[in-house]
Amino acid sequence: MGKRRGKTKYFDYSLLVIIMFLVCFGLVMVYSSSYYSGMQLKNPDPAFYLKKQIVSTMIGMVVFVFCIFFDYRFYYKLAPWIYLGSVFSVLLILTPLGVTLNHARRWINVGFGTIQPAEICKVGVIVAVAAFAVYVGKGIDKWRNLFVVGGIAGIPAALILFITKNLSSAIIVFGIGFVMYFVVTKRYWPFAVLAVLAVAAVAAFMYYIHYYVDPVTAGVEIDENTGYRMMRVLAWRHPEEYASGKGYQTLQALYALGSGGFFGKGLGQSIQKLGFIPEAQNDMIFSVVCEELGLFGGICLILLFVMMIWRFAIIALNAPDLFGAMLVVGVAAHISIQVILNIAVVTNVIPNTGITLPFISYGGTSVMFLLAEMGIVLNVSRHIKYRHD
Amino acid sequence: MKYLRNAGWIKRKLVFGIVLVTVVILLLLGKLAHVMLFESEYYGELAQDLHERERAIKAARGRIISADGTVLASNKTVCTISVVHAQVTDPERVIDVLSMELDMDREKVAKSVYKVSSMERIKTNVPKEVGDAIREYNLDGVKVDEDSKRYYPFGSLASKVLGFTGSDNQGIIGLEVRYEEELAGEPGQILTLTDASGVELEKEGESRIEPVNGDDLVISLDYNIQSYAQQAAYKAYKAKGAKRVSIIVMNPQDGRIYAMVNIPEYDLNNPYELISEYSSITVTEENENGESIQKTIPEDELTSEQRMDLLNTMWRNFCINDTYEPGSTFKMVTATAALEKGVVGLNDTFYCRGSLTVGGRTIRCHKTTGHGSQTFAQTLMNSCNPAFITWGSRVGAEDFYHYMNKLGLLGKTGVDLPGEAGTIIHKLENVGEVELATMSFGQSFQITPLQLLRAASAIINGGTLVTPHFAVKTVNADGEITKVFEYETVEGAVSKETSDLMKQLLESVVSEGGGKRCYIEGYRIGGKTATSQKLPRGSGKYIASFIGFAPADDPQVIAMCIIDEPQGIYYGGTIAAPVIREVFENILPYLGIEQEAVEFSTE
Repeated sequence: MGKRRGKTKYFDYSLLVIIMFLVCFGLVMVYSSSYYSGMQLKNPDPAFYLKKQIVSTMIGMVVFVFCIFFDYRFYYKLAPWIYLGSVFSVLLILTPLGVTLNHARRWINVGFGTIQPAEICKVGVIVAVAAFAVYVGKGIDKWRNLFVVGGIAGIPAALILFITKNLSSAIIVFGIGFVMYFVVTKRYWPFAVLAVLAVAAVAAFMYYIHYYVDPVTAGVEIDENTGYRMMRVLAWRHPEEYASGKGYQTLQALYALGSGGFFGKGLGQSIQKLGFIPEAQNDMIFSVVCEELGLFGGICLILLFVMMIWRFAIIALNAPDLFGAMLVVGVAAHISIQVILNIAVVTNVIPNTGITLPFISYGGTSVMFLLAEMGIVLNVSRHIKYRHD
Repeated sequence: MKYLRNAGWIKRKLVFGIVLVTVVILLLLGKLAHVMLFESEYYGELAQDLHERERAIKAARGRIISADGTVLASNKTVCTISVVHAQVTDPERVIDVLSMELDMDREKVAKSVYKVSSMERIKTNVPKEVGDAIREYNLDGVKVDEDSKRYYPFGSLASKVLGFTGSDNQGIIGLEVRYEEELAGEPGQILTLTDASGVELEKEGESRIEPVNGDDLVISLDYNIQSYAQQAAYKAYKAKGAKRVSIIVMNPQDGRIYAMVNIPEYDLNNPYELISEYSSITVTEENENGESIQKTIPEDELTSEQRMDLLNTMWRNFCINDTYEPGSTFKMVTATAALEKGVVGLNDTFYCRGSLTVGGRTIRCHKTTGHGSQTFAQTLMNSCNPAFITWGSRVGAEDFYHYMNKLGLLGKTGVDLPGEAGTIIHKLENVGEVELATMSFGQSFQITPLQLLRAASAIINGGTLVTPHFAVKTVNADGEITKVFEYETVEGAVSKETSDLMKQLLESVVSEGGGKRCYIEGYRIGGKTATSQKLPRGSGKYIASFIGFAPADDPQVIAMCIIDEPQGIYYGGTIAAPVIREVFENILPYLGIEQEAVEFSTE
């Protein structure tokens, strides 16, 4: 069946509803978790962070609508430029355009505000890997092309890591490329080997820490030269021991979860957000959600993300071409990685890395580019054709 | 376009990936549920501790009320005035108002107002009226906090009995500390939630535990009797230029103490202010010629240690905290012992030559020319030392101690005041002839005045050893009695016969003997005088004392007066007996002890 009078037959309304709900819920939670921080500013304004987030969201909505109607197939030709642009934006941080906030140089000044190049890179890598997969076709299984994909994802990841000292964003950027390669290649065994190696490496690392580094289990003093990442690992293992240092944020998040109960204290009633959890509107916002709305609210939110990822899968499976499918896979990888890592940090399953929760955490660049990605996915969905069997 | 449809592995991998993601998320939700449901008690409690601040609500301290219903210790509302720097909008006006209302130096107030601190205290213990007046101005940044402070309406009345409280309203000495538990009550609590910087959250419901106010303590001390006794004691204190004067008035039947005066008393409302009697100390120093000279250190040059020593001396209750050699008043104990043991009869006589040699030591009678021949009763009336040495030696050391013990003189009285002193006495095995002789007339051992009064009570009340006490009962805010205090009594300390006989003998001491200056027409009064030389002997310092009771046949009140270091005449019968007479003249009618019809002599 062909197009009828140029109109598309399909549009994923369920995904649209989920996106809209998450965006609005995100604004509510940003307000709830940030009004105390807003009141602590030099010019107290409870809606300070909310206002900034609303402006970003408005810009993001314009981009979102544009992307819904902008044929995704054009990105194939634009891919090299999008990719190079995103990498270049990271390099801009080194120029005087770079902005330092909260002791971290991660932003660039674009005149009307600041944006975070790491967020651009996520889109850049998604488009570039998708385009490359289509470009090489079945040749993707060649060893050479594995390294090309690794380079496409690895270069911006390395730049982000070394220029902005932002490990979490680097992991996400590289992770997106990794997942996309996993889906597009025929091979299984390298991943099986990798999985075994990864488990072994983690186990060895944990063994090393348990018996040689951790003062609690190994009975040794903390070495003065212990890096802050190692300290985070130690704080992760025993947050109570590092309650006033690296373990503080994690412990405060656990307090928030613990005081939430099943139905929570009610929207706006969190006490942990009152200065106990530093910058409650950022990485740890999920703990505030759980304190206010309880386990019930937390599970509902996560299930919403699961539903979103399932919509992505359905769109990817029915995408009219490999490029569309790979774009959606990239977005799905992005959302999945961030949701999983964020919840894992809040529940102290993994060490604190500072990964935000998509749509919910405060962050202008993040919401703008997330909405762009959503627009792209919805545009792909518009090209799905019904098949009548 | 057909590429994807042919690439089945992509679909499989997609499904594999999506299932993996879902499984991982579900596992994380499991962990989340575990933390939020099963570890919530642990983390929730820690969070609660972190958020809650406790603020105590003071419980009102119970009052101390005399037997006649006069409030002796009470509470009054005082204010603390402070300024919150950040909230002050018109500092000059704040300084003007505060310096005027609080009568403080303007510069001093200005310094506090302009000091950048979260809260600066300007003045504490401000009367409520002044606090209210300041509140009326509605000044921004000025805080008036009310607090309760202990207040003693009669200032120095019974100061050494009542005691006082510290800055947190806790008892420091006297009844205030002895009955701390009853008076203090249970402080309440306000639990408030705070943010990370400790600021209280107003909208968060505060949980409140109401304080339980302390109970009122009703004591046996009678305001009127205490006042009469205090007047009489002060009069003697002034007239005799004494170091100190004490009066105890007690019910001999049950040990209720009606009055306990220790002159000089101090002001309970300013317990840390030295009264003039204790405002300086005299120290002995050696000058360059090696002569020792006396040097007086005035109050403002005292070290804090010296000052504290003086305060402690000022707060002492001599009737209980200090011991002394009782002297001749103790002869009633010797007489009782002799009668009890049956080693002396009313018909026994003794010839006093003015001195007696015991164990190679000559002990003189106060009447150096000798009393001549006396009956047993006359030896008591004359307070003849050689006679009592003889009565004592007839009792023997072992039985002497036995009867002293029965009369409670070897143990503490158990009075409900802190710091009671105990007897200082030779060990029985070290008591020889000389020791027994001197003890027989009340020397070479030390007891507290209250111990002697208690023994005297047992001698005249038919032989019951009572526990002297103040506390009668506690009453809660609703007027319900919450506790009635009971005290131990031991019967049979003295036989009824001996007691009856002693009453007669002691009555004759007042009617015919050395205690006649306590005689009040129409009343049957018994008593015994004492004049004891203070240690070291020959210092020229004396203690004059008198124990009197009425009515002599059925004693309802027993009183004791001790004048320490009187100037001039120092005989107990001359100076202490009249003090008790003055007290009795006032309180006997007050106690409802009727005057008997006076029989006019028609001879």
